[in-house]
Amino acid sequence: MWDLKEYRIAGSPGEAVAMMRRGPGKGVYIAGGTDLFLFPPQCDYAVDINHAGLGAIARTPDGDVFVGAAATLHHIATNPFVTGYAGGLLAQAAAHCGNRPVRSTATLGGNLCNALPSADLAPALLALDAVCYIVDEDSQESLPLEDFFEGPRRTVLGDRLLAGIALPAAGAGWRAAARRLTRSAEDIALVQVAVALSVADGRLGAVRIALGSVAPVPMRAMLAEAQLEGEAVADLSPDRLADAGLIAASECDPIDDHRASAAYRRQMVGVLTRRLLAGLLAEQPRNDDQGSAA
Amino acid sequence: MRMDLTLNGRPAQWEAAPGATLLAVLRDEGLVAAKRGCETGDCGACTVLLDGQPVNSCVVAAARAHGHRVTTLEGLADDPLMRRLQDALVEHAGVQCGYCSPGMLVSLYHLLRACRAEGTRPGDHAIREALSGNLCRCTGYVKPVAAAAAVAAALAGIPATGTEAR
Ligand SMILES: Cc1cc2nc3c(=O)[nH]c(=O)nc-3n(C[C@H](O)[C@H](O)[C@H](O)COP(=O)(O)OP(=O)(O)OC[C@H]3O[C@@H](n4cnc5c(N)ncnc54)[C@H](O)[C@@H]3O)c2cc1C
Ligand code: FES
Ligand code: FES
Repeated sequence: MWDLKEYRIAGSPGEAVAMMRRGPGKGVYIAGGTDLFLFPPQCDYAVDINHAGLGAIARTPDGDVFVGAAATLHHIATNPFVTGYAGGLLAQAAAHCGNRPVRSTATLGGNLCNALPSADLAPALLALDAVCYIVDEDSQESLPLEDFFEGPRRTVLGDRLLAGIALPAAGAGWRAAARRLTRSAEDIALVQVAVALSVADGRLGAVRIALGSVAPVPMRAMLAEAQLEGEAVADLSPDRLADAGLIAASECDPIDDHRASAAYRRQMVGVLTRRLLAGLLAEQPRNDDQGSAA
Repeated sequence: MRMDLTLNGRPAQWEAAPGATLLAVLRDEGLVAAKRGCETGDCGACTVLLDGQPVNSCVVAAARAHGHRVTTLEGLADDPLMRRLQDALVEHAGVQCGYCSPGMLVSLYHLLRACRAEGTRPGDHAIREALSGNLCRCTGYVKPVAAAAAVAAALAGIPATGTEAR
């Protein structure tokens, strides 16, 4: 039983932050609650953000896809803007989380703000250059998702609220794919790799390689990305892709735990990165492949 | 805290602790079809519908019900689709101890009701996906899936008159 004194329901993002700061005592934001009810924190009140107008998924006039922090994983998995963006990478990541009833209530915001190294939406979002929107009582800030995570269970938020994320219009036509290794289907991931890239005129434009469960925070393998960006696809032999995988493996910082050894995780980063790159490069060119610069 | 909701098609008021789960309040109210299994969102014994969506009521705040619609197996007892599912589960020997059955029935009801509305017929994959949150430690899954497939085959003929249809 969660020993809360009060449950506050916010009607807007600004009101949510104000309710959080009002005291007395300590508060916590609640969205789906699928994490909070498993590990109820010691606090006095919860601020519910499900009525704060953050549940929508929309395409902005600039062509970005905006996903509100309170959008549920089921909504994300089935929304046409998300399934149609970069091969549906984010939709697939959402569809692989938990089980059907959990996805009815679990949200994007809860997945990211938990800041677990194994959060399943994080690698997909990092690979897609997601930008997060953070609200204060009467101001807003945006920053790249890479800068959002500070450590396990630590983000830049403080007592501010995550309002949502935007997937930039430039990435809508990227090729993208991900792999996630687990011991059993419902267990948390041992290793997650998500790769997104653009191809134009036979050359790689942007390359994004995002890793989960292999460092204190979800991360990008930027050295490996830099090895590939701008290269002619015809020059990318299997050995070069394997090298990129090894570089990505050298960039991560996994730990030994009861699920897997650090050495295994690191090796799998190399293998999965190579396979994902090879698979994406072998895809037939599509009309929507865009030559956006890295 | 005080809550006003639509419970099984009727207006209801609850007085509940701010940190209570939906499952705890339902069971205190005498609605005990939803079971306490794992209480960690894994087993689905506690599945109910919140605004028509299946949720694990053990990991949902009771306060979420305020201003919303909660439907439990009890509220679907007279629904022709639910009755067919119950009969099919028995006919296909998809029930042993029965602890998982209320949750499975609510999940399958949600799937088949949506399929009927869309005029589609779910295949085994969709049925398995719908049951992805319902663990059964006795019967397994082959028989419940067969039961659901049998109801799915006759879906168009089942009238939509239940609580959730209103
Ligand atoms: C059975 C089960 C299976 C699961 N499987 C998976 C899985 O496969 N992959 C996976 O990644 N996760 C999984 N999870 C974990 C969890 O469901 C997800 O991480 C989910 O997305 C959390 O969202 P929520 O809305 O329920 O979070 P909540 O429990 O409501 O919140 C989680 C944390 O985030 C904070 N928070 C929430 N929203 C905001 C916001 N907008 N701004 C600031 N802070 C906020 C809360 O204060 C809290 O600290 C599973 C959970 C269960 C119970
Ligand atoms: S009791 Fe809720 S999922 Fe098991
Ligand atoms: S019949 Fe016993 S758990 Fe399913």
